[in-house]
Amino acid sequence: MAQSTTAEGQEKAIPRSVAPRRSRRIRKTVGKLLPYVAILPAVITFLVLLGYPVLLVIETSLQHFGLRELINGGQTWVGLDNFRTILSDPEFIAIVVRTFLFMAANVALTVGLGTLVAVLIDRVDKPVRLLLSVTMILAWATPAITGSVIFQWLFDSKLGVVNWAISNLGIFGDWLNHSWFDTGLSTFAIITMLIVWQSIPFVAFSLYAGILTISNDMIEAARVDGASERQIFWHITLPSIRPLLMVLTFLSVIWDFKVFTQIYTMLQGGPDGQTVTLSIDAYIKGLSQRQFGIAAAVSVVMILLLLFVLVPYIRRMTRTQVEE
Amino acid sequence: MSRRARRAIVNGIGIVVALVFAFPVYWMVNTAFKSADQIETYVPVFIPTPTLANFAKALAQPHFMDFLRNSVVVTLCTVSLAIVVGFLAAATVARARFRGRGGFLVLVAIAQMAPFEALLIPFFLFLRDTPIYGQLPSLVVVYFIFTLPFTIWSLRGFISGIPVDLEEAAMVDGASRFGAFMRVTLPLLGPGLVATSIFGFITAWNEYFYAYVFMTDAQNYTLPVWLGSFRTNLGTDWGATMAASTLFALPVLVFFLLIQKQMVGGLAQGAVKG
Repeated sequence: MAQSTTAEGQEKAIPRSVAPRRSRRIRKTVGKLLPYVAILPAVITFLVLLGYPVLLVIETSLQHFGLRELINGGQTWVGLDNFRTILSDPEFIAIVVRTFLFMAANVALTVGLGTLVAVLIDRVDKPVRLLLSVTMILAWATPAITGSVIFQWLFDSKLGVVNWAISNLGIFGDWLNHSWFDTGLSTFAIITMLIVWQSIPFVAFSLYAGILTISNDMIEAARVDGASERQIFWHITLPSIRPLLMVLTFLSVIWDFKVFTQIYTMLQGGPDGQTVTLSIDAYIKGLSQRQFGIAAAVSVVMILLLLFVLVPYIRRMTRTQVEE
Repeated sequence: MSRRARRAIVNGIGIVVALVFAFPVYWMVNTAFKSADQIETYVPVFIPTPTLANFAKALAQPHFMDFLRNSVVVTLCTVSLAIVVGFLAAATVARARFRGRGGFLVLVAIAQMAPFEALLIPFFLFLRDTPIYGQLPSLVVVYFIFTLPFTIWSLRGFISGIPVDLEEAAMVDGASRFGAFMRVTLPLLGPGLVATSIFGFITAWNEYFYAYVFMTDAQNYTLPVWLGSFRTNLGTDWGATMAASTLFALPVLVFFLLIQKQMVGGLAQGAVKG
């Protein structure tokens, strides 16, 4: 600021010529353009690597596009035929329902247990809190593929430690050689355990950070007035972390709706296709069966369903962004 | 119930929960250090007589070193690219006021939520027509768009956190606007750049889906692809499988411990603000 005033002052002393004025104007224009130049690489990236794929998936979903078209080109427009094909397939409807149930179970368990763990972190003594934090970071940091491999080992029918532990409890009888991967439900249970185990830490840490911002005076005052711990949780803690809970629920919905790695590496959608969800279905129809048009339609359905679920969240986020 | 008894119960539950969270990781490491006869027993061994045989076996797997190198190359390229492009955009959004700024931020927010699992087909059709298909650069391209939105978002937060007054003070002392940013803000940005890079590192290092689909040539596998087919590669050799898993997860675990504070804090702030 100070510098520019002196510069202007000097300029006034010197007889004005055309050249500096033009250079100042150029500098001003450059200054105005600079932000656009700086964000240009990012904008191009978003357009080419996100905008184009989105358009391409919509275009492909309206075409007959199989192996022949992949090699020779010449795909033909078929309108909504691909959508008609998949939506009239009872198997596909079952996959949609299954994906929703799977997502709902995972989100409910993650957010519900995550809230309890957050309260627990808040209530325990300091050494236990440190222990909890470190062990939860371990779970959180474990790569999805590693988690899948570990859980297959934990639940191995012959040498798995889980079957040994259940057998030794003595309540449920002999579980040695029990195979967890024989039914879809049991396989889903293990995938859910894996995902919930890995997702709770993020939810719990975030909620704990939110709980810390609640004023202690308010809680003390409630306590003095004779409120029980349960009442404090329901009437003070929960309302305070509600916005945070909503964000975490929506984030969990996004993540759990499109899970691929954990489901696919666990049993490739088996047994007998019983753990195939939408993302697995799109992969199988596209890359295995080479029905790209159909697979693109599955992907579009997936995007639309996700959008539908997330409309309130996106609306809220966009509003805050623009306000900022 | 006395206050002390209640405290003890809460702490007891805390310890049990901690053990449940630690157990799978403990069991991976535990198995990795076991000898074969300690693994192939119906009664599990909880504290093994440690042996490094499994690690030696994992490292001696055909092409393990190649897959490791592929993973490192793809990860480093992704992170560098995302940091350079992301930094330019983040600094601009944090420091400059220009028309379209809000729109750009909305774009970044939407990109961050994009379901890339649903975009496999178009990415496949799109990249298939390019010479990089099946090669490592095609993964860099995909991971770049995975990590860019968060990189911009996170760096923008860190840059906004550094008071602009500092830059203005430097400008009073004769620095140009650009010089002030480079000399004052950039050095303070170290932790932010590290935390953001680590996030990118973890995303690219862990990614399985696209690597599994796109790397058709076995010599271009990254570690997750190889680990995903452990049954084909290692059969039921759980010792070697767990040793390989441990080696793969180790850098991520270390990095995570370094940055978990930033990741949690960032979300809590943003969410409460919204």
